[in-house]
Amino acid sequence: MTRPAARSSGMAGLLLALALFLAFGKLLLPEGLIRPPEWLVQPFADWINAAFYFLQNDLGLMALTRAFSDVVEWLLDVTANLLYGKSRWPDIGPIPWIVVAATAFMAGYALKGWRLAALSGGTFVWIALMGQWKWAMETLSVIVVAAPFSVFLGLVMGVLAWRSPRFERILNPILNIAQSLPHFAYMIPVVVFIGVGPKAGAIVTIIFSVPPMIRMTLLGLKRVPEEVIEAGKMAGSTRWQLLSRVRIPTARPEILIGVNQVIMQCLAMVVLASFIGMPGLGQKLLQLLQALKIGLSVEIGVTIVLLAVTLDRLSKAWALRLPEHDEPSARWLHRNRLLVIWLSLCIAGLVLAQFVPYLHEVERKQALSVAGPIDAAMDQVIRVIAPVTAWLRWFLITWVLIPMRDAYLWLPFTAVLALLAAVGWAIGGLRSALICLGYFGLIALSGWWDRAMITVYMVNISVLIAALIGLPLGIWAARNPPRAARILLICDTAQTFPSFIYLIPVIMLFGVNDVAVVAAVVVFAAVPIVRYTIEGLSNVPPELIEAAEMSGATRRQTLWHVRLPMALPTMLVGANQSVMFSLFMVIIAAFIGTQDLGQEMQRALSSTDVGKGLVLGFAVAVMGLMTDHLITRWSEDRKRALGF
Amino acid sequence: MGPNVTETVISCRSVSKIFGPDPVGHLARLKADPQTSSVGYVQAVRDVDLDIQRGEMLVVMGLSGSGKSTLVRCLSRLIEITGGSVTIEGQDIASLSETALIDLRRRKMGMVFQSFGLLPHRTVLDNVAFPLEMRGQDRSTRYARAREMLDLVGLKGREGYFPRELSGGQQQRVGIARSLAIEPDIWFLDEPFSALDPLIRREMQDEFLRLKGLLNKTIIFITHDFDEALRLADRIAIMKDGRIEQCDTPDQIVLHPATEYVAKFTAEIDRARVVRAGSLARPLAAVPEGDATAATLTIRDLARHLVADRRAVIPVADAEGKIIGGMDRQEALDVLLGDAK
Amino acid sequence: MKSARSMFASAAVLALLAPTAWAEDSTDPIIIPLHNWSSQIVMSHVVGDVLKSKGNAVEYVTTDSQAVYESVRLGDVSLELEVWEGAFGASFDAAVAKGGIHAAGAHNAVTREDWWYPMWTKEACPGLPDWKALNDCAALFATPETGEKGRFLGGPVDWLKHDAEKVDALGLNFAVVNAGSAAAIWAELGAAEKTKTPIVVFNWTPNFAEAVWPGEFVEFPKWEAGCNEDPAVGMFPDKTYDCGNPATGYLKIAAWDGMKDKWPAAYATISKVSLTNAQIAEMAKLVDIDGMEPEDAAKSWMDANPDVWNAWLN
Repeated sequence: MTRPAARSSGMAGLLLALALFLAFGKLLLPEGLIRPPEWLVQPFADWINAAFYFLQNDLGLMALTRAFSDVVEWLLDVTANLLYGKSRWPDIGPIPWIVVAATAFMAGYALKGWRLAALSGGTFVWIALMGQWKWAMETLSVIVVAAPFSVFLGLVMGVLAWRSPRFERILNPILNIAQSLPHFAYMIPVVVFIGVGPKAGAIVTIIFSVPPMIRMTLLGLKRVPEEVIEAGKMAGSTRWQLLSRVRIPTARPEILIGVNQVIMQCLAMVVLASFIGMPGLGQKLLQLLQALKIGLSVEIGVTIVLLAVTLDRLSKAWALRLPEHDEPSARWLHRNRLLVIWLSLCIAGLVLAQFVPYLHEVERKQALSVAGPIDAAMDQVIRVIAPVTAWLRWFLITWVLIPMRDAYLWLPFTAVLALLAAVGWAIGGLRSALICLGYFGLIALSGWWDRAMITVYMVNISVLIAALIGLPLGIWAARNPPRAARILLICDTAQTFPSFIYLIPVIMLFGVNDVAVVAAVVVFAAVPIVRYTIEGLSNVPPELIEAAEMSGATRRQTLWHVRLPMALPTMLVGANQSVMFSLFMVIIAAFIGTQDLGQEMQRALSSTDVGKGLVLGFAVAVMGLMTDHLITRWSEDRKRALGF
Repeated sequence: MGPNVTETVISCRSVSKIFGPDPVGHLARLKADPQTSSVGYVQAVRDVDLDIQRGEMLVVMGLSGSGKSTLVRCLSRLIEITGGSVTIEGQDIASLSETALIDLRRRKMGMVFQSFGLLPHRTVLDNVAFPLEMRGQDRSTRYARAREMLDLVGLKGREGYFPRELSGGQQQRVGIARSLAIEPDIWFLDEPFSALDPLIRREMQDEFLRLKGLLNKTIIFITHDFDEALRLADRIAIMKDGRIEQCDTPDQIVLHPATEYVAKFTAEIDRARVVRAGSLARPLAAVPEGDATAATLTIRDLARHLVADRRAVIPVADAEGKIIGGMDRQEALDVLLGDAK
Repeated sequence: MKSARSMFASAAVLALLAPTAWAEDSTDPIIIPLHNWSSQIVMSHVVGDVLKSKGNAVEYVTTDSQAVYESVRLGDVSLELEVWEGAFGASFDAAVAKGGIHAAGAHNAVTREDWWYPMWTKEACPGLPDWKALNDCAALFATPETGEKGRFLGGPVDWLKHDAEKVDALGLNFAVVNAGSAAAIWAELGAAEKTKTPIVVFNWTPNFAEAVWPGEFVEFPKWEAGCNEDPAVGMFPDKTYDCGNPATGYLKIAAWDGMKDKWPAAYATISKVSLTNAQIAEMAKLVDIDGMEPEDAAKSWMDANPDVWNAWLN
C-alpha cells in the first residue's frame, strides 16, 4: 500500500506548474481554455428530462409511484386521524395530548429511567402548552409513517447488499451520491412522480433517510461474530433461520443505530419537506419567517430541537439497552408493571381529558409564548451590535469576499482542473488525480462552471472561517471534560436547530449579501470542526502525553508535537463533514440571495425542472465526493503513518 | 485405555484446505510441483489423514495458526474442503445436499466455541433450546430438555439470564449445554476453555471430564495447551503448518516423539505425569514375585511405590488383573526424576 | 367559534334545500393549496369554510407558490385563489399552455409591484416618491458591495422583474441586488427599521408589509403598452424598460379543468369569489398584525363580512 512518494510529488509539482502557467498565462490562452467552449457542454439536463419523460409516460412508472403513494397516503391518514383528528378512518382521534405526553414519559422511564422520562414527557408538555400541538402532531404523523418505511426498506436493501456483493458494489456509489445530493435535488422528481402534500413529504423523507439504514444494516450483518454464525449453523439452522434468528438479532445494536439515524434524518427533513407540502412544524416555521415573526419561529425551532433530542435519546437508549432478566418467581403483574402503569395512565388521561378540555387540546389562545422577550432581545442585540456588524460587513466584503470571488471567477477552468489534479496526485497518486479531474470535468461539461465556482468560493471561505473559529474553540474546550461536554451540547443544538431560522437573523445583521450567506454557513461548518477537534484531542493515549511531559515538554509543545499530530486524522474527518455541511447550507442560503448553484436549484424546484435540478444536484454532489475522497485518503495515510 | 470398540466414525483422507483466489487450481499445481510458490495463498490444512473411533476422545493440538481450528471446521463442513474427503459414518459429507447436511448437524453434531458463540439477545434457556427450535420441536419439549441440560452443567436457576449477565465460565457452560441439547454423537470443542482464567479453566476441565464420563460420545477437542491435551486425551494429534506431525496416545508422544517439532514440544513436559505403567511394560520371561501395579497408573502416581519397591522389574497388570508385562524400575525412576533420554 | 359553526350548519341546511345541481358534487375532498403569505392562507381558509358549509369536503396542502400551477394542472390540487399577474403570471401562462388549468374568476383587486421604500426613507430623501430623487440620494443607499452606487434590493431573480434594465434605461446610479426570497426582503426591512436606515426594495400590494411598515411606491414614468418592448415608446426614445411597472395588475383565481365536472357547485361558487384590495389587506392584518392563527382569522373575517361570502353562494 505504500506509494512511491518521490515520483508522485514530482508529478504533482509538474501539474501545479501547469496550473500556475495556465493561470498566469491567461491573457495568452485561447477562449476555449478559459471557459468550457460551447461544443464541450453537454445537455445533461435534456437527457435526464428525456429519461424521466420516458419513465413517467412511456413506461407508466407514474402509475406505480402513484399506487405506492396511495398506500403511504392511507397510512398517513390513519396516523393523521389518531394524532390530530383529520377526518379519516378510523375516526377516533385526536388522542388527547396528556395521553401522548404520558406515553412519552413512560417510554423514557422504561428505556433509561427518570431523566429520560422527564425529557421526553417534558418535551410533549412543552409542545402542548406552547400551543404547537397540532403542528407537531402533523409533523409526527408523517414521521411515524416515513420512519418505519425507511427502516423496513433499509433493512431489506441492507440484507440484499449483504447477500450479494455485486449488489453492494452497485449500491455503494449510489448511496455515496445520494448522501451528497442537496435535499432540493430529491424533491423535484418527487413532485413529478408523487405530487405535493403530506405523502410527497413522507416519500421525500423516506428517500432521504434510507441510506444510513442500509449502511448500518450492512455493517451490523458484517460484524456478527463468526462463531455466533457457526454456532447457528451447527445447531442445524437453514439459511432463513440463520438470517432471521441469528444474524439480524445479533446485529441488533447496529440496526438500532440505523433506526436512530433514520429518525434524525426524518427530523432534518421537517422544514425542507414542507416545500413540497409536508404539513406541520416546518410549514408553520416558514410561514412565520415569511412574516418576520422571529420569536415564534424560535419557539418552533426549540420544539424541533427538543423533539430531535428526545427521539434521539429514546432510540439510542433502546439501541444500547441490554436485556435484563426478571426473577423467575416474579408474577405477571410485577413483570409487566410498566405496561400496567402506562395503561392506567392512558385511561386516566382519556377520562380526565373528557372533563378538562385543556388536557385534551390547548387552544392557540390559551398557549404560552416566549416570543415577546425573544423578539425584544433580538431587537436589542441588533441595535447594540449594528456598528460592529456594519464594520465587519464592510471589511469582509471589500477586503476578503469580493477579491476572493473575483479571483475564483477569473481563473481559467483548465487551471482549476490542473490544480485539482495536482492536489489529487500529491495525496493519492494517479487514481486520486483522475478522480478529481473526472469530477470537476463533469461540472465543466455541465455548463454551470461560473456558478459552481461561486459555490466553491463560498464553501472555501466558510470552512476557512469555521476552522479559524472552531479549532481554537475545540482546543480550548478539550482541556477539561466538563467544558468539552458543554461545548458539544451547544454544537448538537446548533446543528439540530432548523437551518432556516438562522437565515433571517444573519440578514438582519448583515443584509442580503455574501457576508450573510457566509455567516449562516459558518454556524454549520464550525460544528463538526469543534466536535472532531475535541474528540481527536481527548482520545490521544494518555501514555503519550505522560511520555511527552516526562521529556520536559511544555503544554504548548505537547499540544503542537504530540496531541495535534495524533488527533489529526480525527480532525480531518471533521473537516470533511464541515465541507459537506457547508455545501448543504450554501444551497439553502439561496434563500438569502446568492448567484451560485443553489439559486438555480431553487429556480429548478419552482419550475419543477427535474433535469436541471438533478444536474445541479450532481454538480454539488461531486464537489462533496471529491473532498470526501481526498480527505479520507489523506487521513488514512496519516493513520497508517501513526500506526493506528 | 483407548476405545474398546473400534468402529471408525470420522475418517479423513488427504484432506486439504487452501485459502486464496483459486484454491482448487492451486492445490492441483502444488500436487504437480510441490515447489510452486504459494504467495497469496494460505495452506491451512495439508494432506491430513485421520481416523477417529467411536467413543474416542481425540485432542487436536498445536500453536495458533497451525490449522487445528480449520481442520475441525472441515470435519463438520463449516468450511468446504479443497481436496481429499471427509467421511462420517461411511458418508462422504462433501456430497451431502444442504438439507442433508443440516439434518446431519441437527441429529448428530454438537459444537462448543472458544468465545462461546452465544446469541446475545436470547436468554440462557433460549440459547440452549436454540438447536431444538431449529429442529422444529415444540416449546414445552424443548424448554424441558434445555432445563435438563442446564441442570447437567450446573446452571439451574439462571435460565432467565442473558449471556452478558454471566461470567465467562458460566457462559461456556451454556455453550456446552447448548451443544449437548440434541444429544449429539459427535462433539466438537474448539478451544472451549482458552478464553477462561486459569482457575476457572481447571474447574471446567474437571467438569468436562465428569460430563465425558457420563456421556459416551466421540469427542474432538481442540487446544493449544499441551497440559490440557495430556489431561484429557485418549489420543493427541499434534499439528504444525497444517500437517499432523504425530497422532498417538499421550505417553507414546512423550516417549517416542515422531519429529523434532514434537520432541521440542514435549521437552518441557513432566513425563511422570503422562507416562503410564502400561507403556513401560515389556514382555516378561518370568513374572517377578509380589504385587503387580495397574497399567493405567502414571509414574507420578507410582512415585512412592517406585522408591519403596526394591525389585528391578515390577509386574504390570491390566484392568482385569492379568499381568501384561514388567516395568524396569530404573527406567521408571528415570522418567520420574526427569533425566530419561 | 361556536357561532361560526352554527352559521355553517344553517348555511348547509339552506344548501340542501336549494334546488340546484350541486348535489352532484363528488365527495372527494377539494384540495386547496396554501402558500407562505398570510392573505392567501386566510383567503383559502375562508373559501374552504364556505365550501365546507355547502357540504364539500375540503383539504389544505402547503405547496410552493410557483410549482402549484403544475399541481393544479395535474389535478393534484384543485384551485389557486391568488394568481398575481406580476409574480405568477408567467408560471400560470405556461401551465395554461400545457393544458389542464384555466382562470375561473378574478378578484376585484389591483395588484401593483415596483420599487418601494418605507416612510423613514422619505425623511432622508425628501424628493421621493419622484424617481428622479433616487439619483440625488444614491449615496444614502450605498453599501460596501455596491460601492458608490445606491443599492436596490430586488426580489428573487426568477421573478424576472427586469430591474437592471430599468436602472440602465433611466440612467439610475443604482446597483440591483437580488434577494433569495421574500423573507429576505422583510428581514432587511426589519433590520433597517431598527436603525432607520434608508432603503429601497421591491414590494407589492396587497401585502401585509404595508400594515407593518408604512411606505410608498417610487413613481417611475407611467407605464404604457409597449414601453418594455419598443424603444420608441416611453420617456427615452432609444431605451426599453424606460417606465414603471403597470400599477394595475390582475389578481385571478385559477382552477383545474376537471373541477367543473367533478364539483360543479363548488366551481360555481369559486368563480363568484371576488375580493377587494382592502378586504385582502384586512385578512393579512388579522394574522400579521393581530397575531391570530389563519384558521381563526378566517372565521373572524367571515363573522365580520357575512354579506361578502353569502353573495358567492347564490
